[in-house]
Parts: sequence; C-alpha cells; structure tokens
Amino acid sequence: MAEATIKRVCVIGAGTMGAGIAAQIANAGVPVLLLDIAPKDGDNRNAIAEGAVKKMLKTDPAPFMGKRPAKLVETGNIEDDLGKVAECDWVVEAIIERLDIKQNLYAKLEEVRKDGTAVSSNTSTIPLEQLTDGRSDSFKRDFLITHFFNPPRYMRLIELVAGPKTNPDTLEMVREFVDRKLGKTPVDAEDSPGFIANRIGTFWIQQAVNSAFDMGMTVEEVDEIGGKPMGVPKTGIFGLIDLIGIDLMPHLMKSLTSTLPKDDWYQKIARSEPLIEEMIESGYTGRKGKGGFYTMEKGEDGKRTKMAKDLKSGEYRAAARPGLVYGSAAKGDLGKLISMKGKVGEYAWSVLGPTLSYAASIVPEATATVVGVDDAMKLGYNWKTGPFEMIDNIGAAKLVERLEADDLPVPEILKMAGDRSFYRIEDGKRQYLGTDGEYHDIERAEGVLLLEDIKLSSKPIMANGSAALWDIGDGVVALEFTGKMNALDEQVMKLIQKAIPVVKKDYKAFVVYNEGSNFSAGANLGLAMFALNIAAWSEVEKSIKGGQDAYKALKYAPFPVVSAPAGMALGGGCEICLNSDAIQSHAETYIGLVECGVGIIPGWGGCGEFISRWKDNKRHPAGPMPAVSKAFETISTATVAKSAAEAKELGFLRSDDGITMNRDRLLYDAKQRALAMVDGYTAPEKLEYRLPGPSGKAALELAVDSFHKQGKATAHDVTVAGELAYVLTGGDTDITEIVTEAEMLKLERDAFMRLIRNPKTQARIEHMLETGKPLRN
Amino acid sequence: MQVYEAPIRDMLFNINELHEDDGFGNLEGFEDFDEDVTVAILEEANKLCRDVLLPINWPGDQEGCRIENGVVRTPKGFQEAYKQFCEGGWAGLGVSQEWGGQGAPHSLGKMVEEMTCSANLSFGLYPGLTGGAMVALEAYGSDELKNFYMPKMASGEWSGTMCLTEPHCGTDLGMLRTKAEPQDDGSYLVTGNKIFISAGDHDLTDNIVHLVLARLPDAPPGVKGISLFLVPKYLPKDDGSLGNHNNAGPTAIEHKMGLKASATCQMSFEDSKGWLIGKPHRGLEAMFAMMNTERVAVGIQGLGVGEIAYQSAVYYAKDRLQGRSLSGVKNPDGPADPIIVHPDIRRMLMTMRAYNEGSRAVSAWVSRALDAEHASPEPEARERAKDFVALMTPVVKALFTDLGHESAHLAVQVYGGHGYIQETGVEQFARDARIAQIYEGTNGIQALDLVGRKLPDRMGKNLRSFFHPVSQFIEDHGSDEKIGKMIAGLQQAFGALQMSTGHIAQKGMKDPEEAAAAATDYLRLLGFVAMGYCFAKAAKIAHAKLEEGTQEKDFYEAKIITARYFFDRLLPPVMAQMMAITSGKSSMMDMPAEAF
Repeated sequence: MAEATIKRVCVIGAGTMGAGIAAQIANAGVPVLLLDIAPKDGDNRNAIAEGAVKKMLKTDPAPFMGKRPAKLVETGNIEDDLGKVAECDWVVEAIIERLDIKQNLYAKLEEVRKDGTAVSSNTSTIPLEQLTDGRSDSFKRDFLITHFFNPPRYMRLIELVAGPKTNPDTLEMVREFVDRKLGKTPVDAEDSPGFIANRIGTFWIQQAVNSAFDMGMTVEEVDEIGGKPMGVPKTGIFGLIDLIGIDLMPHLMKSLTSTLPKDDWYQKIARSEPLIEEMIESGYTGRKGKGGFYTMEKGEDGKRTKMAKDLKSGEYRAAARPGLVYGSAAKGDLGKLISMKGKVGEYAWSVLGPTLSYAASIVPEATATVVGVDDAMKLGYNWKTGPFEMIDNIGAAKLVERLEADDLPVPEILKMAGDRSFYRIEDGKRQYLGTDGEYHDIERAEGVLLLEDIKLSSKPIMANGSAALWDIGDGVVALEFTGKMNALDEQVMKLIQKAIPVVKKDYKAFVVYNEGSNFSAGANLGLAMFALNIAAWSEVEKSIKGGQDAYKALKYAPFPVVSAPAGMALGGGCEICLNSDAIQSHAETYIGLVECGVGIIPGWGGCGEFISRWKDNKRHPAGPMPAVSKAFETISTATVAKSAAEAKELGFLRSDDGITMNRDRLLYDAKQRALAMVDGYTAPEKLEYRLPGPSGKAALELAVDSFHKQGKATAHDVTVAGELAYVLTGGDTDITEIVTEAEMLKLERDAFMRLIRNPKTQARIEHMLETGKPLRN
Repeated sequence: MQVYEAPIRDMLFNINELHEDDGFGNLEGFEDFDEDVTVAILEEANKLCRDVLLPINWPGDQEGCRIENGVVRTPKGFQEAYKQFCEGGWAGLGVSQEWGGQGAPHSLGKMVEEMTCSANLSFGLYPGLTGGAMVALEAYGSDELKNFYMPKMASGEWSGTMCLTEPHCGTDLGMLRTKAEPQDDGSYLVTGNKIFISAGDHDLTDNIVHLVLARLPDAPPGVKGISLFLVPKYLPKDDGSLGNHNNAGPTAIEHKMGLKASATCQMSFEDSKGWLIGKPHRGLEAMFAMMNTERVAVGIQGLGVGEIAYQSAVYYAKDRLQGRSLSGVKNPDGPADPIIVHPDIRRMLMTMRAYNEGSRAVSAWVSRALDAEHASPEPEARERAKDFVALMTPVVKALFTDLGHESAHLAVQVYGGHGYIQETGVEQFARDARIAQIYEGTNGIQALDLVGRKLPDRMGKNLRSFFHPVSQFIEDHGSDEKIGKMIAGLQQAFGALQMSTGHIAQKGMKDPEEAAAAATDYLRLLGFVAMGYCFAKAAKIAHAKLEEGTQEKDFYEAKIITARYFFDRLLPPVMAQMMAITSGKSSMMDMPAEAF
C-alpha cells in the first residue's frame, strides 16, 4: 500500500460527472470540495456547485448513499476558493471537454496546489500529453487521467491513464483510493484515443446502428438480438442509446474521428443517419429528452403504451415483440448465433464480427492485456461477458476463419492465439493469454478475496441444492446461498444446522456471503405459495420453526458469525444478518424487513432481533416503548435501506458494523472481521425483553388507524400491522414481566401462521410472484 | 338384463343438499330452475331414457351402423328416438335461451347427460357432439355464423361434430395436414382427411355442421399454426334450406369394440367450403373451449355406464339363486338364496355403488363450479370456480371413465357366465365403456395434463380451490362424534395427497419424467380424496337429517353405509398410491427399450 493517503479531495466541475464523483467521494466518508465557476450574475457565487448538490439530493437513483455524506461536500467557486486546493490531496478535474479551458485551469492549479497533490482529469477524449503541455515537471509527475463512468456511484469501472512522467507513487495513491475508498475497479489504459471502453463501445454502437439501418431491422429486433442472445445489457443497443442520450453519439463520433489515426477501422464505419440527426435537432434525445427510439405514450384511457421508432418512416408505432426464433442459440452459444441462417444470425455476425475483431486489435495499443479489455466492457458498458470471453465462446480459430472468409481484418492477437483460448484454468487458477504468447495468472490485488477463485481450486465442505459451505482459509468458512435468486428455504436451514458441529470442531469462524447480484431477497415465496395452496399448514409452520432454530443455533454457536451482504438483503436475508455477531456490509446493500408488503411479518427471529437493535442503540431513548415503536414503524412500512449507510440510520446495521466500498474486497474484510473476534469469543447471552404488552399495542394501532382513515393504509394493512404490533409489544405481557426469546419466537410464529392463512395475504403473495410488485389490498 | 331407472333422489341430493356450502354463492340467471322444475325435468328425462333410449340400446349394439352409398345409416329406432329427443327440447337443455335453448345450469344438465349415457351411450354421442360444437361456436364464432347456425343446432335440427384426428396424428395435433385456402368472398376451401370422427355422418338430421381443424397457407409449423373452420355437410342457402353437397362426407366407418350404434367415420373434405371460427392460427384455443366441456362430458359417460352396470347387477344379484348364505338360509322357500347374500357379491355391488355415488357427488361439485364460473356474483368466487374446473376436468374425465369401466366389468362378474354371453346385454357395458378411457385425450394424457399443467400452474393456485375446502372441513369436523372416524381416514388420505403433491412439484420441476411417471397414480389419489370429502360431507348431512327426523330414513341411512364402505374399503388403497408415487420413476424407466 502506498504510504501517502488521500484525506481530502477537490472536484472541479459540478456537471453530472463532477458532482457524481464528489458524491461518491463523500459516500466514502472523505470530505470533498466541489467547485465550479461563479455565475456571471446573482449574489451567490457558489450557486452552481450548490445547485448541483441540491439536484443530486433529488436524483433517482441517488448519487448519495445517505444524508450524512451530503454534508461532507463543501461547495465553492473557482475564482474565490481555488486556494483551498492547497489543503487537498487529490484534485479531480471534470470540466468541459475543451483543451484550452482545461490547460488554463491547470495553469492556475499549478500555483495553488502543494507538491504531491495528485491532479487528474476525467476527460474521455483528450490525450494526456496535450493536457499537460506547458506544465512543470512537478505537475506532470502528479498528473494522470481518472476516467469515471456515469453514474459514478453505480458504475464500477475507472480507467487510469498515466503519462510517461507520472510518478508511480502518485498513481498508486490514487489507485488505492479509487479501489478501496470509492469501490471502483481500476483498469490501466494507455494514452490512446477513447481509452478502452468508449473506444470499443462507440465502435460497437456505431456498427450496430449501421447494420440496423442497412439491413432494414426494427429497433425491437436489434435490441432483442443484442440483449440476451449476445449478452450485452438488457436494454439492447437502441435502449442503451436512449439511456445515455442520443445527442452524445455525434460528440463521441467527432472526438474519436478527430483523434484516431486516419486508417483506424472506426473512421470507415463512422457515419450519421439523417433520422438520428433530425431526432436530436427536434429534442428527441432519449430518456432525458422528449423521447428516443422508444417512448411511452399515454392513451386517452390513461394507459401507457410503449412506442418504438420506425427506422424507415421515422414515425412512432406501438412497440412489439419481434418474435424472432433463436433455437439452441438462445442459450448463449455465440458460435451458433452467428452462424444461424436468416436475419438473426446475419445481424448478430454483422455486429459481433467487426466488434470483436476491433476489440482484439486494440491490445496492447490501448491496454496491456485482454483482461483489461474484458473488465472495461463488463464494468463500463455492462456487458455480460467481455470481448475476449466472447471470442473464447466462439473459438478464436473459428472466428479467424469467418473473418478471413468475409474479408474482415484479423488482428495479430487472434492469429497468435491460434486454436488456444484467451482464458484457461490451470492448477486451480484462472490464467489469461498474454501478448507474449504465454499464459499468466490473473493476479488479485491484496485484500481481494473471491469465492469465484476459491471454487476453482476446491470443493465445498458440504452442499445441497440451496446452500454450500466453503473453506476460505485461516480457519474460516463461508456459507453461500446457491438456490435460484439465492432464495432461502428448508435446505439452507438444514445446511446451517449440519455445518455448526463441523465448524465447531474444525474451524474458527463463520461468514455468510455470496457473489450473486443480490445477497438474498428472502424466503422462497414460490415454495411457500405452493405449500399454502395445498394447505400444508404444518409444513409451513415447520419451515418457520426450522428457520428460527437454524438462525438461533448459528447465533449461539461457539464461534463468531459475520454476515456480509451486498445488493438486496430482504426478509430472511436481512434476518440472518440480524442474527449475526457482526455485519460487514458492502456499501451498495439494500437491506430491510419487507414481509408486511406480502401480508406477513418477519418469522425467522427478525422481530425480536430488530427490537434489540434499537434497545441497544445508545442514542435512542431507553424504556420499553421507543425501541418497539421504531421497530414497528420500520417493519410495518416494509422500509428498505438504500445503502449500507442508510441501513445504519435505520438500525439494521449497528454503528460498529463495517462497510466495504469495493465489492471484491467484501469477503476479505468480513473474514478479517470474523478472525478478529475469535480470541476469547463467547456466544451472546440469550435475549430477554421487557415489553409494553396490550397498552403498547393499542398505541401502535392508533397510529395505523389514523393512516387507514386517511386512506394511506388498507384494511389488510391494518390486520397485518395489528399482528406485528401484537408480536412487537410482547403479546399479553406487561413491563413487569420478562419475555424470553423463546416466547418472542413463539409469538412471531403464531402471528405468522394466522396471517398466512388469511386469503388476503395469500392474494398478496400470489400477486408478488406474478408481477413482482406488492398488492395493496 | 339391462335395467335402468334414473337415481333421481341421489341426483337431487347432489343438486340441492351436498354442495350448498361450496362458497360459490347464489348463482344468477337460473331462477327458472327452481326445485319443482328441476324435479320435473329429471322425471321427464328419466321417462325418455328408460322408455325410449334404453329399449334401443342393446338392439342398436347388435345391429350397428352401416354405410350405404356414401351415407351412414343408424340402427333401427334411432331416427324416431332422436325425433322425440328433439321434440322434448333436450337438444337445447343447456343452451342459452338466446339461441332457443332452455339455459339450464350444468348442475342440472350434467344429471340429464348421465341418464342418457346410462340408457344409451351410443345415442348420447349424437346430441353430445352437437353440444360441444355449439360451445366452440358460441365462444369464438362471428355473430353472423352464430345467428345462422346456433338456433338450428340448439333445436337439434342440425347436428355437429369436431374433426381433429388425422390418420397420422391424434394426440400430437402439431402434425396436422388438412389445408384451408382463403377465398375472395371471405370463406375458405378445406381439403384433407380425418379419422375417428364421431357422428361424422348419420341419418338423424338433414345437415351436419363440422368443426374442422386445418392449416392456412401461411401457418407457422406446429400447434401454433392450426385454425378452426365451420364446414357444413350441405351448404345452406340464406333462408336456411339446404343447397349443394359440400364434398364433406364419410368414406368409411370404423368397426369397433363397442359403441357400435355410434357412427365413427373416416371423413374426406375436398375443397369443402368453410368459415373461420376465431382468429387465424388460434384454432386450438377454440377447440379447447369445447374440449374442456367435452372432457367433463366424457367423464359423465363413465359414470352413466357405471350406474346402469350397477343397477343391472343388483337386479341379477337379487334374482339369481345360487348357494346359501354363510350366516344362515335367507330364502327358505326357494332352492337357494339370491346371490346378493354373499359377501363377495356385496363387495362388488358396494364398490360399484360407492363409485357411482362418489363420482356423482364430485361431478355435481364440478358442475356447480362450471355454473359459478360465469354465474357467481362474486369475482373471487368466479376465479375460484375457474381454477377448480381447470383442476378437476382431467380428474373427472379419467377417473370416472376408469371407474365406469371397472364397474362394467364388475357387473359382468356378478352375472358370471351369463355376463360373458351377449344375451344379457351386460358385456355391452364393458365394451361401450372402454372408449371413454381413450377418446377426448387418453386417460394418460389427462393425468399428464393434471401433473404437468394444472398442478404447477401459478405455483399451485388451481390446487387451492380444492385443498383449502378439504383442509378446512377436516379441521372443522375432526372431533365430530358421528363422522370423526371418516374424518380420520380422510385426513390420512389428504395427507398422502399433500405429500404426493409436494413430491411431484419438487421432483417434477427438475425432471418432468418424474412427474409423468407419477401422473396416473396421482390423478386417482386426488380423485379418491375428492370422493372421500364428498362422502364425509354427505354422511354429515345424512346424520343431521336423521337426527332432526326425516321421511327418507332409508335414503340417508343408505348414504351413510355407502360412505362407510368407501372409507373402509376404497379409500385406504390411496396410501399405496402415495408409495408408488414417491418411489420415483427409476424402476419404470431403467429398463432399456431393447429389453422389452
């Protein structure tokens, strides 16, 4: 790790990117100064930067992870506040893409920044060499390009470009910071036009659009073929252009055609379509404008219909499913897809052939390894697989054959690969094919631990259809959910029970972790629905009891348990976290007890654990009622935290629970956290409660009644909230009595069973399964 | 000896008493069919069946249909019987009044259907097919087609058919070849060959309205490229009188195991003019509309045969004197006791009786749901009814026809050697009943429909319409003094059903063959639980009636005894079905095909 660290950052330029970068830095808990120009008129000289922050507080998806980070952003203007740069360790420039203005700013920066303060540009088009033209050597040593992707909070890619004079320590300092603090995956790029992702991405979009017009395809056809079968984002190509803004296309084209060599392939395919020009001129710039290739039209009956642009007539018409047939190529066999007869295969090849060839041709010119290209496209353009992974899917030799047959360029690296693949597994390690013709291990940065890698070299300690237990080294095990969507069921609970004696005997600590896009959205509702459809009440109750028993057994096991959620951790996924000794959460974790949304209440110990979270909160008033009220408020409204930071505010995370910004570092951090608890570990004491009983319940119900009268709560909401209130207030108790944990669990179970037998709850579950949305009945 | 008297009292019990609390609510639109009208209709139907249809049942079987000069002739007496059938308005009993029918509910109509199936299964097919064709036409046909054809079909003046099967494709309709060429006037010319077409041709009506599945020139391959056409035997003129022959007629009739008085035709269509029903390529949808009601109707056929087989066996068991009762002489004046004294004869008679009463109870429940689907005032009840019909249709079809077939063979057994010879007419039941297990989707297909479609649909939503009332009933009556023992049996069987359902859902999701291997056993298990539920309910009602005092003590006491027999003797084998289901597919599928 580099010695120097970044404690304060200045972001100059409060446009979408600059402001978003500032927000993400604040999300990491680092103070940030956001500067933009002072407006020509008006009293408030900081109006632009302030306006940007205000706007971000209303943006969805939110750039900020909570209320606190927003307070870490200090706003100012370049004229008055540039001097404050002296207190910063890193300056990120994200102003307009004009060389003269940037150079002018750097000249000013040179005067105010202290030596060693990193300066980076978020440029996507201007070569580094030109940016630092005229600057001192000292400035050049501290300068680099940090190219973020939009939106900076959510896109994981950052391209790093160092100049010939850039100090390696500066580069490392920034790399460490963007990796660990901002949670990004840095990919080293050369100082070549468009770097990696935009270079390939622009080529790909251009080629896809060209072919669409040339072959007379509809936008729906193009997006369907480009979506699942090819594995590019599910928006498809025109959907993606709508999302990023149609007006961005000519900008990208202009910058690339002016910077790329004249003989670059892109120069030959770059062209503009009259229809697209006309759309931009008339304000049809995509989702941010009046509409794009798709738009939603509101009919007279108030129903919204998805409309699609007809590429021939230029008119909107109702969007339709193309109904193309993929056969066996639908399952991701790209070789099959591109050799299919008819327009599916022809279109797929017309896009993939040139794009893959082009992508292969920029190694090592734009980045040193095939891994860099693949990471860039996966993390910067949301491709499901990178270009070289796609080439492996087809087979490099086969691709070469087809390219030659079609008189398309065959890049050196493809010839070099011959009939070898670009990736392989050797001795349990993933390797890539280097430009030197040799395979090299894919090295992970220090502090990165992935189950994906562990799986290459080992078998699980135990596994069933819904969960697996892995040895992650140093005496720590990881419980992985493996069912569809990581749903929790009886099998998971069985595996937990089976794992406990094994871990007790042979291991030291236990981590709950997985690498799905969501930790777990809770119990397998489909399975529950089936059980209740066949009136298997005792089975349902058994599964509730089974979950309670498993979670409690884990909680009171004689070893530390750390849950490491990322993505959604809802319902039972949240409850396993609540039953853990500690939580090491990824910053992008969306945790909540959402059971009431489907007409039930938390049934796996969530009610009691959540009360005790609030009871233990020193900043919250003591006494039986406040904790209960807080728990009631959060659970009855099925509130979900929109980040780990917000999860702390809502009480799902304790104040000392850890947050990891980089997804790839989560398992390592969780493991360290667990190991730190091993020495002298004793299982927690059994919980006991003093709860308000019926009088407390009446108070909670009063609030619900008033919501009902205002029309904010439905009749069934009142029923569900009533059961929840009964459980949270301890049933028929009063504050003089102790309610044991076992009694709380029984209350929870009984209330759950009463609700699950209610036809309105059944209707809610059914609706959720069918539509993915809650039913308000 | 073929003996029949409609079981009107039991029918009324099922219509009026058994399903009162089925939760479908007060159905709307059947106000004309009060208790008096219902009784009158059942009694009239009984007369027709007993006095007109039954007498031509055995002779019709002996004579059979024949084809002469390209025209099919039905056996002697059928024309006259059909005339009476139409004059009595029976052809349009269940048809909406809009088309000149009477608009009777299914819960009544299905009872009448049972009677015709008992008295003369072959005869019943002619109007039965017309009924099916009307269902598809009414749901999917254009107003023009409906206005023209429906009234004539509802009166029985014209009959109907459904033409699906072709020489090379039966179950797998995707392979269908018959073509339809669109014409400038909006009609189509249909060309192709069909086989196994019931009532494909006959001499009972002037004209026959064929509903034919065919492919349009631009049709996609497989089942998504099939359209439905209305193709009349004679092209009617605008005034309804008959015009030219439409080149739609029989080329031969099949020689069959049974059902000999029903004409099963090979049909040829050659540039026969027809009209599209419903949307192009969506013919299967329309066909299934009729198929679903037809499947229930075929189930009723099984019940009908079972009932007459039972009655004929009872007649003989009381009449035939052989041996002496093991508990002492019962007929001292005669040379021997009637065979009804023997336990094994009792076993057979009680089994038939319980099958019939159980099937009738379930069929009445499903009929209520068929009515409630459209006529319940509550949307939730309508949806529940729809789910229930979807779930139970394959069960009614396959289980009832299996039981009807079993009953027919039991009747033969009761008759002994006299059952095996033709003169008594009993072996006709066994031959006639056999086809109902095959046509309208074989019983194997029904079982697949149940486990493959109906069970997993919407995470088991269809099941709820059945499992919840049964579960609730068990919970509510577990400690009932009178029927507690039956409830214990029901609970055990229901548990086996729940476990089997869970097993199939779990295994079948990963391996469809597992579900398919369990299908037939599962269908029977579910059907027997349904009958068990109905019997327990019936016993509960009977006990209550007896307690409050009733004029019909014999009826209710008999009901209880039949229910007891069902729980003692017929329900327990479902435990074995569960074991078979949970044993999995391996011993069925492991044998290499060459080893057979």
